Amino acid sequence: MGTGIQIWSTAKTLATGAIIGLTISDRYLTIVTTKGDSMHPTLTAADSFFRGDVVFAERGCLDKYKFSRGDVVIFKCPSDHNKDFVKRLIALPGEWIRIPVSQEIIKVPEGHCWVEGDNADRSWDSRSFGPIPLGLIKGRVTHIIWPPSKMGRVERKWPEDSAICSVYLQVNQPKGQLKP
Amino acid sequence: MAQLLAALRPIVNYCVGGTLVGLAISDRYFSLAAVHGSSMHPTFEDRTGEYALVQRSGLARYDFSRGEVVTFVSPVDHRSTLVKRLIGMPGDWISVPETSEIRKVPEGHCWLEGDNGSVSWDSRFYGPIPLGLVRGRVTHVVWPPHKFGRVDKRLPEGRVMPQRHF
Repeated sequence: MGTGIQIWSTAKTLATGAIIGLTISDRYLTIVTTKGDSMHPTLTAADSFFRGDVVFAERGCLDKYKFSRGDVVIFKCPSDHNKDFVKRLIALPGEWIRIPVSQEIIKVPEGHCWVEGDNADRSWDSRSFGPIPLGLIKGRVTHIIWPPSKMGRVERKWPEDSAICSVYLQVNQPKGQLKP
Repeated sequence: MAQLLAALRPIVNYCVGGTLVGLAISDRYFSLAAVHGSSMHPTFEDRTGEYALVQRSGLARYDFSRGEVVTFVSPVDHRSTLVKRLIGMPGDWISVPETSEIRKVPEGHCWLEGDNGSVSWDSRFYGPIPLGLVRGRVTHVVWPPHKFGRVDKRLPEGRVMPQRHF
């Protein structure tokens, strides 16, 4: 009889722990394994057990609209909602982007954003599928937690150079002039 | 004082535990949503206090079908959630009303329209939206009591040509 009560109590603790873990993971902070080369060298694919870097992804940014240019974000693929991608957020709604191939300039629509991978040659991103709705973003990558050699914050970074894209800020723009 | 706290403890535990379980269920399985606006009339009428039961467990299994009412994140404001009927699935051809245009719904996207076409702001204006924005399926209206019941599947006639016939 004593064991019965003990088992029940352990089961309750485990169940509570699981539910707390799930709720935290859905709403605040979760751990994700990344794959692929599109974010090299920030995030790298590897031959290790996890097949890629393991990162912290925080979800608090979603409600409070706390995205910034240069954040690395995780989002649902617009053409397959069962896949998640990791890319860097390059432009926010209302900002102007030059599309590399056609040299066309477009304005990022309201409620959307422009994402690109750090490794431009191997990245399938907004240059192919266009701006994505902010509603597809699932979290913001803050730290790499594995492998140990790469542990540390993932910094907000400005994309290197206008060879890839130029972002014209719409605010404070005198008429007839565009400032990079 | 210590006795009072000791007596309160189990109550607090149950409240916190209940909240957590409620949150987890609401995020992943079922939740209730208050519905506003007249774009889905007569399925939902624009009155205060209409509540719908939203089922979320179909998402991972890609379980949607044409004609269902779904909730989704607005493509122009990621902080608002909207309710419309899912008319077209990826690969379907849609006839856009009031024009002679036929559009194909791209892979991974869907076409949404409100039941009350004249006031509904939907895919006819902002185009097909990625399925990743869909958050759940409305299965029942639960309040007010005289409207209690299932929300049925319905498709507008002659406007959708499915890619596959199920």
